[in-house]
Amino acid sequence: MRIDKGQISIVCVCIVLGFMLAIQFRSTQDTRASLPFQRVEELSARLHQVESENQELEDEIRELKGLSSSEKNDKINDDILMISGMSALEGPGIILTIDDSGKIAKKENDPNLYLVHDEDILKVVNELRAAGAEAISINGQRLTANSEIRCAGPTISVNNVRSAPPFEIRAIGEKENLMNAINMRGGVADSLKVWGIKLNIQPVDNVWIPAYKASSKYKLAVTSNREEESK
Amino acid sequence: MIYAVIGLLIGMLLGFVVPWSIPVGYSGLFSVALMASLDTVFGGLKAACNGNFDDRVFITGFFTNALLAAFLVYVGDRLGMDLYYVALLAFGLRIFNNLGAIRHYWLQKH
Repeated sequence: MRIDKGQISIVCVCIVLGFMLAIQFRSTQDTRASLPFQRVEELSARLHQVESENQELEDEIRELKGLSSSEKNDKINDDILMISGMSALEGPGIILTIDDSGKIAKKENDPNLYLVHDEDILKVVNELRAAGAEAISINGQRLTANSEIRCAGPTISVNNVRSAPPFEIRAIGEKENLMNAINMRGGVADSLKVWGIKLNIQPVDNVWIPAYKASSKYKLAVTSNREEESK
Repeated sequence: MIYAVIGLLIGMLLGFVVPWSIPVGYSGLFSVALMASLDTVFGGLKAACNGNFDDRVFITGFFTNALLAAFLVYVGDRLGMDLYYVALLAFGLRIFNNLGAIRHYWLQKH
């Protein structure tokens, strides 16, 4: 049987085509099989994180067990004061200033868009907290668990103390993280700068944050020994 | 016809034996190249049915179509144009057209 040139070329092409088909088929199978692997990686990262947290807590327990009872009480007291905002703190962080827009409001736009509002401050504070800020103050008012950030006419009230723009927000935390949280693309800074609101953020090696100054007496709430709400 | 099937089988065997696989980033380009190759093969079948099969046209068409298609998709990807779907659609349409022509030929012959 005579094999001519045309048939050889057909065989060559078909070999290449079959090769490509098989490779593509195998690659597709591989990617399908490898999807659970990504999940495994994700879970192992989570496990790693939780384990390190666990280690930290165990260290804390060991540390507290090693102390005498009065030292223990002091340490717990210090921690509580720090967390509740009753003691002034210092550490690396950022100082962020926000002021009303310098742009002249266009007639067709709402002039409110050019002013700093309580919502803007809330967004900034929220972003800072999400980025791991350990302590935050607004115009010298320490933010505690009970602090409000509320619109009060042309001013903003924090801890029931009113202040007008410009607002200075101080935060202690990882400088890079805090800066990135505010400056990220499409983040708070971007959305405020559209209206010309002046937002300036500066990393500082030692930020001082004042203590919460108002009274901290609870008038109505009393401590409860119940672990769960009874029916 | 028998040569084509034998070639296809040899190629597939090779493909399953060789331990290479396509990196995920290039699988799009590869599938477009594969589509172009399939298109050329069906085009060649149609030409053979019509009796104007030319092996030079066939073999150059096979390789240049595949490479050009992959290259265009690559460039499109760099420029932010999703030529991937366009290529798949165009080649898919042509493959079905060729299939239709081949079917007509067989129906007329028998």
